[in-house]
Formats: sequence, structure tokens, C-alpha cells
Amino acid sequence: MATKWSYMDHWVTETPQGPLPPSFNRTYMDRYVKQLSALGFQGFDTFFFYLPMLQGMYGSVPAFEHFLQDNGFEKITGIFSAYPYATKHTAPHVRETHDRIVADCEYTLRGIEGLAGVENFIVMPSSTDWQTEPVTDDKIKIMADLWNRVGRITLEHGLKTTCHFEFWGAIRTRPQLELFFEHTDPEYVYFFCDTAQHTIAGVDPVQMFRDYKDRCTGFHFKDTKNVDTTGMYRTAPDPELMAPDVERWFYPMGEGGLVDFPSLMKEIVASGYDGWLTVEHDKAELGGGTYAEATCLAKWYIDNVLAEAQREAEAAL
Amino acid sequence: MKDTLRWSYAINAWNLRMDVFVRHEEQQRALKTLSVLGFDHVELASGMGGRWENLGTPEIILINHGSAEGLLAFLRRAGISGVSSWCWDPGQPAEETGYAFLMTRNPADHDAIVEAAKPFVDLLAAAGGDQLVVRPAGSAWMAPPLGDGDAGIVGSLWNRVGEVAAAAGVGVSLHYDCLQPFHTEEQLVSLLDATDPALVGLALDTAELTIGGIDPVAFYDAHHGRVAHVQLKDTRFQDAGQEYLTPGAEATMLKGGAGRRIERWFYELGTEGGLVDVEAFVASLRAHGYGGWVVVEGDKGGNATEVAMLNSWFLQRRLGVEKV
Repeated sequence: MATKWSYMDHWVTETPQGPLPPSFNRTYMDRYVKQLSALGFQGFDTFFFYLPMLQGMYGSVPAFEHFLQDNGFEKITGIFSAYPYATKHTAPHVRETHDRIVADCEYTLRGIEGLAGVENFIVMPSSTDWQTEPVTDDKIKIMADLWNRVGRITLEHGLKTTCHFEFWGAIRTRPQLELFFEHTDPEYVYFFCDTAQHTIAGVDPVQMFRDYKDRCTGFHFKDTKNVDTTGMYRTAPDPELMAPDVERWFYPMGEGGLVDFPSLMKEIVASGYDGWLTVEHDKAELGGGTYAEATCLAKWYIDNVLAEAQREAEAAL
Repeated sequence: MKDTLRWSYAINAWNLRMDVFVRHEEQQRALKTLSVLGFDHVELASGMGGRWENLGTPEIILINHGSAEGLLAFLRRAGISGVSSWCWDPGQPAEETGYAFLMTRNPADHDAIVEAAKPFVDLLAAAGGDQLVVRPAGSAWMAPPLGDGDAGIVGSLWNRVGEVAAAAGVGVSLHYDCLQPFHTEEQLVSLLDATDPALVGLALDTAELTIGGIDPVAFYDAHHGRVAHVQLKDTRFQDAGQEYLTPGAEATMLKGGAGRRIERWFYELGTEGGLVDVEAFVASLRAHGYGGWVVVEGDKGGNATEVAMLNSWFLQRRLGVEKV
């Protein structure tokens, strides 16, 4: 099994105007791509809101993809779209906002026309839990209806709509996840496994993959050192940066976190999964870290620890 | 890096000041970074000595790791196979030697410098290292202009250190930096001529030579037989003439404290506006069958990890060197 690793576009670097994303200007963006290239990443996932900036810096999004390809990448592999904060305009659990969300998704799809073949349209299926409460079965079914609609549309463009669940989202527990998948069409809605998010929410990501591998189209390989046992997921307005007891939730692989990545890797090999595996760091700068170092450490872990797990799993096939 | 050239990376890029890069976890992260970027050897650098130089001075390394084998085991945990070389400036006062202010241009200091070199030589040899890379003389602004006898005095010291090192199986190479007094090509050659080629070589630093007004490609072509070690980095600036003689040039010149206010002189390979023709230099190394280490340096260039990533990119994408 030849694994294919992509990188989820979170990055902050030092600029003359302070620590900022490399979209600061073309020079910084070029450096960022070269830095990822040096590590051997082949795929690049980015956010929908970066597309206009890429267009501005490189002339078009396909031109940016060509720059990636000049540096050893295969292509842009995923586009991430989300409505983390529910508003009167957009809230996945409010049916009246669905037309707007669908229109947004169609707009994003137009923004990636001409690319080599984006595979995943990655979405947060819900907004924050605290804005969705009480999280009822009916609300989960409403959200399922939305992503069934979006999934049908993205598939027409060759992209699979795949759901990335947050520990602070309204679909976070194992029963909620099961209900959501029960009410989404396997042809249109897929599963995106973020190892840290599920672990924080008290859900075993390895078991999730085991149970939903037929619908899994991607991963965010990132670690955490905390399980939320005190309801911090309900922190308003934002549990990721304002949780009372945890200042930093996410860590690179191999830094003493809770996720059992070797076991996950073995499950992936055993399943025959042949899609992209993605490294993600989120808020890596908290506590003095850097995205550059976090990314190097994650890739070292992939090349040294996960490669060994992969070899063991392949030998056992 | 898989190549006919032997590539190493200078770990000093992470040791920005005396109270950082002390914890072993921090050092492991840097070593893993270099490993995943394709480097399997590192160059150590001495500093001010004392309890925080955990990868800098022999006494402190041994306190941390017990032996050369212990040091190597520490490196191997991160995927680094060994030590290529060790940079040492005998003029840098160090706690272990009582902050002695030793000057290579002063013959009265030579015995002490030879003694101070021995722990470096011994540990470097035990760790399988190749070159003790030394600063030949203190900054030019700190002493009178070179006299007729200075090359001979300094050369005789390094011949003595070279003898000690050779007995242990280690080479000694004189590192050209843009502040030391053997500044012009003529002065540098006079120093090399005052040393025994069998014992002492040149550590050619591409950026430092360029800043000092010497074309590293042309110099290497002319003197490749004396080059025993290479440090590879780029610069965007040259000394405008006599800036290296500015009092306090370490800060006034190299940190932009005065004059042209250039705050950063050293850059990653392939930097925009870089003055070093790295591709031509490496081609020349290959053409002359260079057999020593090529150490990529990223010190004084901003975020060490980001610079190392860019340097690895340059080796892979511009020099065609395959990552390990």
C-alpha cells in the first residue's frame, strides 16, 4: 500500500507585520509550499475562504495548483467549508438557512473549477453545540437533510461531501454520530475522521474508522492530550480557545498525546483504504510552538513510527 | 541525503542564545526535524560553555550523555547517525576554562589553546567526527592590524592543534568568517601558507567569504586542495569596505547596530537576491572530487525550522539531491 499524505492548510509564520498565515503575500506563500515540499507532502487541503487569496496571488487557483505541482505535489486534494458559528443566515440545524448554505457551496465549487481533481468537500456538519441545544434527533435529521442535498451537488462535480466532526459541535457523541449517519445517504455523505476531535469528545477514532470505514474518505492526523470530561464543549462563544481548563487542545503526533495512531494505521492498512491521509495542526503556535516544527515532527512520526506500523500490518495481511 | 557529497546540518541554528535549546526534548525536536528533512549528520558548535551548553562543550555533553556513545545514542533516537564536525572558537571565553580570554595572535596563549582543544578533539574523535572547525583568530576590530609575523604565529598554533587532532584521527580546518583579521584573499592565503597542509585545512563558508569580498566559487577553484570542510549558506550583502573593522562589529555590523543598519546577513540557500551562486559552487565541489563534509547552515537566519525546510527544499529541488 502506497500511502499518500496531504497537508491541511493551517500555517502561521513570522512576517514583518507579526505572526500571520503565509497568504500574507506571494513570497511567503511560495516559501510555505517549498517547506511542505521538502517534507514530501503530495496533497494540499485548504479552506474555502483562501480560494480568492490564492487566485489573487497566483492569477488563478489552477495556477496555484501548478505551482504546487512544480514542487512535487500531485494536486489540491480537499476544500474545507464550515459554519461553526450559527447565525440567522446560516445554521445547519435550521432548515430555513439551507438554501443559503447550498448556494454558498455551489459558489465554492465554481471557485475550484479547472483543478486537477479535488476529491473531498470537507464540511463541519453542525455549528457549535451551545447554539444548537437542545440537540434533538430532529435537529440531527435536519442537518442530515442539508448534507444529503450538498452531497448530491458536489458529487456532480466529482467531490465527495465528507463530514468532519468537532468536539464542540452539535454532533459529537457516538449516538449522535450514529443517528447522523443513519439519516444521511451513503452515496452522498461520507465520514472524515479527525483523530483529535473525536478523542476529545470521548469517542474512539479507531473504532469510528472500524465502524464507518466504508464511508471514510479522509483523516486529520492530529493528537490531543485531553478528553473533555467537564462539559467544556459547551463553552460560549468558543470552546477551542476559551475552554476554562485547557488552553491548547491539539498537538502533533508523537508528542505524548492520547490517540493510538499505530493502531489506526494498522486498521487503515487492513481495510484496504487507498485515499489520502492528511496531517493537520490547529493552533500549533499556542504555548510557543510553531507550525513548521509541528509539521516536521508529524512527518518524522509518519516516516518512522507509522511506517513501521504499516509494515507490520501489511505483513499480517 | 543520498549523494556523492556528504551532507550535514549545523545544529547551532537552534541555539540562539545561552538559555534556550537546553532541554533534551527541545533538542530531540530539532534533530527529528533535520532527520525528516534528509540530514543524518550534524555539526556541533561550542558556545559560552557552562551548564546550558548541552550540545556545545565536551564537559557538559559528557555530564548529559556520559560518553561519546551516549551522545550518539541520543542523536540516533531522532534518526541522526553521527557528528560530522564541531565548531570551536578558542577566543570565546567559556566557563569551563575560567572565562580565559585567549588570543591566537598571542604566542603566550598557545599552550592554553592547545590544551583547551584536547577535550574537543577527544570527544569528536570518539564520536566519529571528521573536522574540528576553528576560528583562526579573534575579530579584527579587537586587535591591531595584522603585522608581518601574524600569519606565522597563528599558523604555528594551528599546526600544533593539527598535530594533536591528527593523532586522534581528526582534521583541523580554519573557518573563514567575515570579521576575523585574515580578511582579504591575500591575507587568507598567507595564513593557509603558514600551515601544514597535512595538518590544517580551510573551512570554506560560502556566505562569510562573499560578505568578505571573496568569490567562493573562484576561491575554491583556485585553492580546492586546501579546503577540508565546507559550510553552505547564502547572503544578500557584502561588506562595503571596512565595516568589519567597526568597533563591536558583531553587533554594529552583523546585527545592524550602526552603519547601514543591516539586521540580517545570512539567508537560506536560494534566497531572493542571494549573492552566492550555490549551484555553481556545488558543481565545483563535484568537479574537483571534494570528499569532505558539506554542512548546511541556517544560523542567524530567523526561525531555524523554517530555514532548514527551505534549505532541504533547495538541495532536493535545485541541486537534485535525493532525500534519505
